[in-house]
Amino acid sequence: MSDPAERGARERILAAAVDRIASDGIDDMRIARVATQAGVSTSLVHYHFETREALLAEALEYSYELTGDVRIGEGEGEAADHVERLAGLMDQFLPYPGHLQKDWILYVELWLRAVRHPELRPTGVRLYGRMRDWIADAIAAGIDDGAFKPDADPVRSADRFIALADGYGVRVLIGDLDIDYARREVWAGLVHELGLPAEPPPPLDGVHEHAGSQT
Amino acid sequence: MSPRPRLDHVRRPELLQAAANVIRRRGLVNARVTDVAEEAGTSAPSVLYYFSSKAELLNEALTSAEERFYEELAVRLEGVESALEQLALIVEWGAAGGDYDAALWMELWAQALRDPELAATRAELDGRWRRTIADVVSYGQERGEFGPTDPERFAVLMGSLLDGLSVQIALRDAEVTPARVRELAVTLAERELACTLPEAAGAPG
Repeated sequence: MSDPAERGARERILAAAVDRIASDGIDDMRIARVATQAGVSTSLVHYHFETREALLAEALEYSYELTGDVRIGEGEGEAADHVERLAGLMDQFLPYPGHLQKDWILYVELWLRAVRHPELRPTGVRLYGRMRDWIADAIAAGIDDGAFKPDADPVRSADRFIALADGYGVRVLIGDLDIDYARREVWAGLVHELGLPAEPPPPLDGVHEHAGSQT
Repeated sequence: MSPRPRLDHVRRPELLQAAANVIRRRGLVNARVTDVAEEAGTSAPSVLYYFSSKAELLNEALTSAEERFYEELAVRLEGVESALEQLALIVEWGAAGGDYDAALWMELWAQALRDPELAATRAELDGRWRRTIADVVSYGQERGEFGPTDPERFAVLMGSLLDGLSVQIALRDAEVTPARVRELAVTLAERELACTLPEAAGAPG
């Protein structure tokens, strides 16, 4: 796809598909609604994606990459030390109102889809691998600098951290748990093995930016 | 009009099983009554004879597998005296149970995001899971097998960890094997409850 205009339409369609999945659910995504939202005709959607399945698969791949980039790219840079950096990473994994919440809804849809469609599992595994590396690297850097316990196991800690964030996060998303409680508990899961302060530092500015608009 | 056959107790579980299979294969949104009828070797009208609506059939199918999981687990737990062994069993079931019905379990989480009725069902099932764990912790504390920790808090912690790990098992992540899941859960439990867990008596079978 070398023509920039065509590439633009393709991306718009993928972005629209991701959006429809987040609001309607993966099984209820309709080509006509995707086309309307992307501002293209249904025949252009069919030109780029032969079948509904092909569009779904590519939209999921696209959103996995996007979610991964958002999660993995943000929350860094402003942190003063390893403890603050780790807390910043944690906040990227929790469904704060706003874009993180929307990513999360998509995320749950992706899990669901990957379970029923084995061909999507490698994409999911790749994303989890990237997240694991990202967290494990941050922990290893903290160990090297003497900020975390020297005998900590970065990969095991990262695995437990991601699982706790997923398990608490989905309960927050459903309205079963309060996000501040979830945040403290995910943190508590790492306190002993990394030698962290018992309470996490407060969330960095930005994570809460949309918090006022939703309950 | 023929009299209502007194076979409800036979037919309903069979139809729920068929509905669960269809949901696993096609997803909740795409599951039709005719698919369930075909799966069960009967007709759509006779399916609707036992369930007043498609929603009732599918929602019940979605939860009945998980209810069975808790019932079977409860029976197994009753046969074990030591709380340490009970908790080891819970971890074992949590680590292995993520696989077979991951599709239904995730379907319920996903649909609960949009459907308040299913969200309530989801919360109820989660409450059961949490109570099962919390009861074992309280029991173990009475017996002096576990250190002092809030059983409710621990139950949410362990439930969340096992759920989160189930996602990765369901993706068939080669890094996250059931053995690894067990180890991650056991380490956390031993630390939180100041105990040493024995080998579990056996996975669900």
